[in-house]
Amino acid sequence: MKKISSMAWVAGLALAAGTAHADTGKLLLTGGVNTIAGSAGGGLTPWAVIGTNATEGEVGFSGYATRAATQDYSLNGYGVAVGLHDRVELSLARQDFDASPAIALNGIAPFGVTPGQHIKMDVVGIKVKVLGDAVLDADTWVPQVAVGIEHKRTRPGSIGSVLDFLGTKRSGTDVYVSATKLLLDKSLLLNGTLRYTNANQNGLLGFGSAAPGKNGRSLQPEFSVAYLINKNLAVGAEYRFKPNNLQALGAAAGLGTALREDDWKDIFIAWAPSKNLSFTLAYVDLGRIVPGITNDRRQTGYYLSAQLAF
Amino acid sequence: MKHTLIALIVATCGLLAVPAMAQAPAAAAMPAAPAGLYQALGEKPGITRLMDDFVNRVVKDPRIGSHFKDTKPAALKESLTDQVCQLSGGPCKYEGADMKSAHADMDINKGHFNALVEVLQVSMDAQGIPFAQQNRLLALLAPMHRDVITVR
Repeated sequence: MKKISSMAWVAGLALAAGTAHADTGKLLLTGGVNTIAGSAGGGLTPWAVIGTNATEGEVGFSGYATRAATQDYSLNGYGVAVGLHDRVELSLARQDFDASPAIALNGIAPFGVTPGQHIKMDVVGIKVKVLGDAVLDADTWVPQVAVGIEHKRTRPGSIGSVLDFLGTKRSGTDVYVSATKLLLDKSLLLNGTLRYTNANQNGLLGFGSAAPGKNGRSLQPEFSVAYLINKNLAVGAEYRFKPNNLQALGAAAGLGTALREDDWKDIFIAWAPSKNLSFTLAYVDLGRIVPGITNDRRQTGYYLSAQLAF
Repeated sequence: MKHTLIALIVATCGLLAVPAMAQAPAAAAMPAAPAGLYQALGEKPGITRLMDDFVNRVVKDPRIGSHFKDTKPAALKESLTDQVCQLSGGPCKYEGADMKSAHADMDINKGHFNALVEVLQVSMDAQGIPFAQQNRLLALLAPMHRDVITVR
């Protein structure tokens, strides 16, 4: 069923490409790649750039597929985005997180988690450029600034009983502001994002928590830096602070740091052999994800993404 | 209005050597003419070759070639060579029109501007200019988008 829908997306994209206004409006790599939530940016963090190849006066489309795998978990993601006049970006993303280790939670309480349970999450994103030009305003320190929201809806299957116990909601909306600047004379891109969120593990473990003072949204900063090696190749790193709303709850239940959430970070290389195609390979460190059932292991591994853009 | 612009051309030429100061909106300006750029471009002979190649490509480009149909290529090459030479720290003096009046009568949008940057990148690649140096030149030219783009 999943195979058919991804083929349908590719076919849809090909159709869209035929009707898209221009396929090469932006300079290479200046639309960013896709975050795991579908917005344009680095792999983990949205940037102020508006995605797709569309520049002013144009409409563009992009689609991506991503896979990340660490010691105990894996994530498949795919999505599409529309870029309007280099001003507005609309994105739709779906994540499929293999949370098989969660079956061990049945040992704590009769949660009824079934074997091989996946957590699915859908994200609808809107981003609006507010001011600036990240690439061309090379004679000023003023960055390109955008504001965005990511509305996320989690479908945890049999892990739902765990989320109910934790008092987390099934949906939430992140609000963020990003400032991106390409220091063109240094071939260096810098991004800072401030996200207002109560998502646990980006939303995979729900939103908020039953712990007092840990239910509301908090400000979490995120940073990216990328160096352009040549027209088609960039390397970089990202760091994303996380709210860690669930640790207190686990501690109160006598589980110590079993529910601790760590910051996310990665180092990546992005290669765009053409205007329409780009690949990103990253080494990710997602820290501890429910360390109580994964023997306190840090989740590190690879992240691979391919993007088609018009 | 046009008479005022013509009268300002001489003053603008002097300002072209310091594009940062003229354009920056209330923010600290980046330094102009980074050290070593003029040499990296091959000095006057190298810049002449670069602009020669660039104009040859640009007039044939399917996206923007039509914008140049009324332009004399030889004159454009000479004008661009002087501009880039001066911008990159060379001992030249550009005495042509400012970017705003030179492009005022044309329909230039962001897509056209980006296409021109791409053609320049291809020309710089063909001349073997290292990517890092290419970006240093582009950093000096990019802010001109405010005057060159007429359709927003």
